[in-house]
Amino acid sequence: MNEPTPSAGAPEGAAPLRVAIVDDEEPARRLLRGLLAALTEVEVVAECANGFEAVKAASELVPDLLLLDIQMPKLDGFEVLELLGEEGPAVVFVTAHDEHALRAFEVHAVDYLLKPVSGQRLAEALERARARLGERSGAAGASGPGASAARALAAAVRPPGRLERLLVREGPAVAVIPIEKVDYVEARDDYVCLRAEGRKHTKQQTLGELEKELDPSRFVRIHRSYLLNVERLARIELYAKDSRVAILADGTRLPVSRAGYARLQELL
Amino acid sequence: MHPILAQPRRLGLYLLAWLFAGGLLSLALAFPEGGSALEGMALGLPLGLFYAFVSLAAWYPARAAPLRSAGALRQLVTHAAAALLSSAAWCLFGVLLARGLARLPLFAGAAGRFQTVLPFLYPVGVLLYLLAVALHYLFVAFEESRQAERQALGLQILAREAELRALRAQINPHFLFNSLNSISALVGDDPEGARRMCELLADFLRQSLRLGALERIPLADELALLANFLSIERVRFGPRLQVSERIEDAARGCLLPPLLLQPLVENAVTHGIAQLIAGGEIRLEARCEGGLLQLVIENDCDPDRRRRAGTGLGLANVRRRLEETWGREARLQAREEGGRYRVEIAVPAPAQT
Repeated sequence: MNEPTPSAGAPEGAAPLRVAIVDDEEPARRLLRGLLAALTEVEVVAECANGFEAVKAASELVPDLLLLDIQMPKLDGFEVLELLGEEGPAVVFVTAHDEHALRAFEVHAVDYLLKPVSGQRLAEALERARARLGERSGAAGASGPGASAARALAAAVRPPGRLERLLVREGPAVAVIPIEKVDYVEARDDYVCLRAEGRKHTKQQTLGELEKELDPSRFVRIHRSYLLNVERLARIELYAKDSRVAILADGTRLPVSRAGYARLQELL
Repeated sequence: MHPILAQPRRLGLYLLAWLFAGGLLSLALAFPEGGSALEGMALGLPLGLFYAFVSLAAWYPARAAPLRSAGALRQLVTHAAAALLSSAAWCLFGVLLARGLARLPLFAGAAGRFQTVLPFLYPVGVLLYLLAVALHYLFVAFEESRQAERQALGLQILAREAELRALRAQINPHFLFNSLNSISALVGDDPEGARRMCELLADFLRQSLRLGALERIPLADELALLANFLSIERVRFGPRLQVSERIEDAARGCLLPPLLLQPLVENAVTHGIAQLIAGGEIRLEARCEGGLLQLVIENDCDPDRRRRAGTGLGLANVRRRLEETWGREARLQAREEGGRYRVEIAVPAPAQT
């Protein structure tokens, strides 16, 4: 991550728009930096070469806006947006032509710029972002695209198929958890708590939402509050009349509801 | 569609031929004792015309039982039965016509005279019908050959279109837009770099178009194109993209279909290097061994990378082209192991000139 480079033309008094540039290609960052330098009331607070740096910068520097590339290694733009969640900065995607992305953008009204980026389109996008940010601070609760929109967007763009990994934000860092490492997931109100390799992670998503994204032949809803990776299941014991417990390979005990037991039996 | 009824010109010729047959029939019918040329014509011409239309029906059994597919016995039975029946109808028509004419004083006795001709007329009717069957089979064969020709032409057009699509797909729009974005970035503070990038891009496009139009190109030309492509990508990815080559001199002259390796190298960049934060290396190898040209394209990759839609399309394309060119003599193998993706190709190395 580079040092913040305040843009020259910001007039005194007005708070400049704090922008972070995220792109894994140096020339692409350079172009945006150059184009932003020509605009007033804009300050480039960070340049990030990948999604991890972007999440870190968003946590530590709290920019108003991310100019976010989509195709990046490890964490793509959609995943970054998803991780930043509802409270994250406004986002403008920057991408080379991509039909699927365009369709998704139309549906979800996230702003975007096409490569090669035009200075005028960039200025317009910043204007819109500024207007949205104004609304957001004016009316509490109103927010940008947010995590759920990002997930819907990502689902529209990615090839159909099951989720292969889970992304969990832990402060400025991001944990990438391969789905086969997850033992079980527990519902906690609007959050889920998932255990993988002996560690627990919390993620801002409901269990129902997550269940839909997971492979139903691997993850079974054994209880209103529990999704179990069936590969971890050692045995099921009758606990009381109509109530059972699932005992995992490592000895963990999870409650199994009647419907959950039926689902398990159907699968096994 | 009936081949004769469908075309007025054919129908005209057909009816003319039958009128001629009717004329001959008129001569024969004028022959019996007490007959006249006029009576012959009054009977012969309508009979000819009537049978012309009856024989048109021969098309339907001929089409339903094409010569090649139906059994000979079944065809014989079908057509013989149709011929016997048609001739019988024909003769009946003749008898009724003769009886009608006999009421006129001019043709008195025509009915009796017609009776004497009947034993000859009936076999003639059978033969004429069978002749019509033969004619219709001729039409069936003619139509089939025309259809086959049309089909072959259609296939040719399809193949051409596929070729064009392949060429267009080879120049990936993402690649172009990203390159233009890089040029746009360089213009500001590195105009010399921007100019070099423009030249590289123009060279690459020109080479792609020129080589794409050829049937076979030497490996050396393909490698030059790849070098150009990778130079452009190196501007985008900087030190993240490393390239190493081990090319045997003897291999450079080997002939390949154009742009065979380019999609594989592009895959190595997009699915390999671009998915790695620290980047990696693309290795190209070529050597001649035992009459085979062995090619290797290997790249570092992230084993946990997201598999995007369209992955494997380029590879399938290359496989198909190899098969089209060399059939089973060409071999392509792709595997991923320990963070390395490796494609191996072996094709017959033709004798060099």
